[in-house]
Amino acid sequence: MNRKDFFKKAGLATAGGLAAPYILPSGRLFGRTNTPKAEYVVLVMFAGGVRQQESVLKRYLEDSQEVSGASGNIMPNIFNGGFPTKKVVFGTDLPGNPKGSEPIPRILSSSLEQTGTIFNEVNAQSAGHYVGLNTLVTGSTGTAQGLKVRPRYPTIFEYLRRHAGFKATDTWFIANTIGNSTPLLNCSNNAEYGLQYGGNMFAAPVTFGSMGREILGNGKPYSRTDLEPMYFMKNFLDQSFGLTADQMMSIKNTDEERTIIKEFIRTVFQRQTAGQIVKPPVTDNGDAVNISYAAEVLRYFKPKMLAVNMSSVDGCHSNFTGYLRSLHRADHAVGWLWNYIQNNIPEMSGKTIMIIAPECGRNLNPNPILDENDWYAFDHSDSNSLRVWAAMAGKNVPNLSVGGPGNTVGRLTDIVPTIADIFGIYDEVMASPYIDPLAKSLFLRM
Amino acid sequence: MRSFAKMAAASALCILLLNGCKKETIVNYEVNKEPVYEDKARKTKRKSDAEYISILYTNLYQTPISPSQLYKTQSVIYSIGDHNVASEMVLSNYFNTSGLKIPADSYMRSNLDTFITETYKRFYLRYPSEGEKAFFKNYIGNNSNVSVEMVYTAFAVSDEYQYY
Repeated sequence: MNRKDFFKKAGLATAGGLAAPYILPSGRLFGRTNTPKAEYVVLVMFAGGVRQQESVLKRYLEDSQEVSGASGNIMPNIFNGGFPTKKVVFGTDLPGNPKGSEPIPRILSSSLEQTGTIFNEVNAQSAGHYVGLNTLVTGSTGTAQGLKVRPRYPTIFEYLRRHAGFKATDTWFIANTIGNSTPLLNCSNNAEYGLQYGGNMFAAPVTFGSMGREILGNGKPYSRTDLEPMYFMKNFLDQSFGLTADQMMSIKNTDEERTIIKEFIRTVFQRQTAGQIVKPPVTDNGDAVNISYAAEVLRYFKPKMLAVNMSSVDGCHSNFTGYLRSLHRADHAVGWLWNYIQNNIPEMSGKTIMIIAPECGRNLNPNPILDENDWYAFDHSDSNSLRVWAAMAGKNVPNLSVGGPGNTVGRLTDIVPTIADIFGIYDEVMASPYIDPLAKSLFLRM
Repeated sequence: MRSFAKMAAASALCILLLNGCKKETIVNYEVNKEPVYEDKARKTKRKSDAEYISILYTNLYQTPISPSQLYKTQSVIYSIGDHNVASEMVLSNYFNTSGLKIPADSYMRSNLDTFITETYKRFYLRYPSEGEKAFFKNYIGNNSNVSVEMVYTAFAVSDEYQYY
């Protein structure tokens, strides 16, 4: 071979290697369908039914309790605008001052609205929590979705594992409870996808709470040398039994991944004992605790996709003051998480997109329940409950403000296509018969 | 002629009486006593988390689990997406406690055939096949680091143990 032929063949081989599709672990031929926009995605499922009025519209008590002159922004890490100055109850307590009168200072140097894109008026497909959460992780409208069962349609975790070839430990769902149907959101019961492509999940307050410590915290730290014979014998027994895919009982990690997850759990217990768990400055509710453990998972695994759920805001059914406090703290937790990723996880810093969206809104009119400040509470069942917003920030996200009252742009079913778009498997996912036909990537709605 | 007919009738009556009432013979049929163990092919029903934990605890401690302990264990297993990870960690906690009723490693090595059969009966409620017996005999025999704890863990987190 002469020099010219050598360079020609070497060039062709290199180009082929870069452009040619490759075989996924599942055996499928895979070729990316669009250019990836980022290497990592964090989806914050925010945070249990959020009214437009107190969040993106920054009306504080003006629209909810008809307190004149009491507008202002209580979510300073996500939205622009100053705090309300009248009847401030959402902050922390200072001795000698009214309860909640000290707003939590903004963590981010610039709000996400200043650096990313806000979709100000988005259409939610459901006024309920579980269908709303389903919508966020499946990209389907959740029609006929039952409670206490896994999603009917594939989740983003399954799309990513099947079509982008992600490992189980590349995809995580951090649930905030084992109640209701929340811990079932890490994969669907769809026959084409299901447990074999499911994402990993912790219901962090249970796994790492007092029960978790009692049941898991005293385990023997087996070395990999110890584990090897156990897994070898287990694999022999499993092959002998020959379980079929439809009989799977749990998501599947490899032996190596299981070992790493167990090491992580032990590490968290050790870090708890040593007071080393990372957490936002204000950690006085469950959402902040859940975000802490989401950060621990991000720090340890650097997963390509992590979704974390928050729900404290749902106290609004009976306590409007508590709702304002939870909303302020949810914003604080999100700001802290974004800051933590940028400053403490170098592998993800500058390479991540964060997406934040409530699963549903709340009613326009209150219910009759009064709280400690004689403020009315709000449920979620009317058309105002279908009004939400979405925020995106990070790599390749432009600084835009899209839509507004009377100009709805986007649907909550867009979140899954957006994540698929970010990871370069947009066409494959959009070809799925389970995606809402009206959904599309939020990048295409800008 | 008439007396001949009478004699024939009397003889027939005697034959009928003698053969018509025969003492009944009582016959008892029995079935040989055989222990019944489930075959793995018939295990199609999945144990619930509560069943799995209860049976596992009883297998290892030879005593029932308390309702409070069952509830906590069930909740923690449910809180982890990969139930195998959860089960393995629960087991490693059990093996770090006292009160376990398990054979010593020395017993396993000096009674390998019995140990393998007893382990299959204990966890799977069946006898091992010849192939299964040969595998474990060979593997345990050739690997001095394999302990009873390792074998029990492998069985307790195996797929077959999740079914009945």
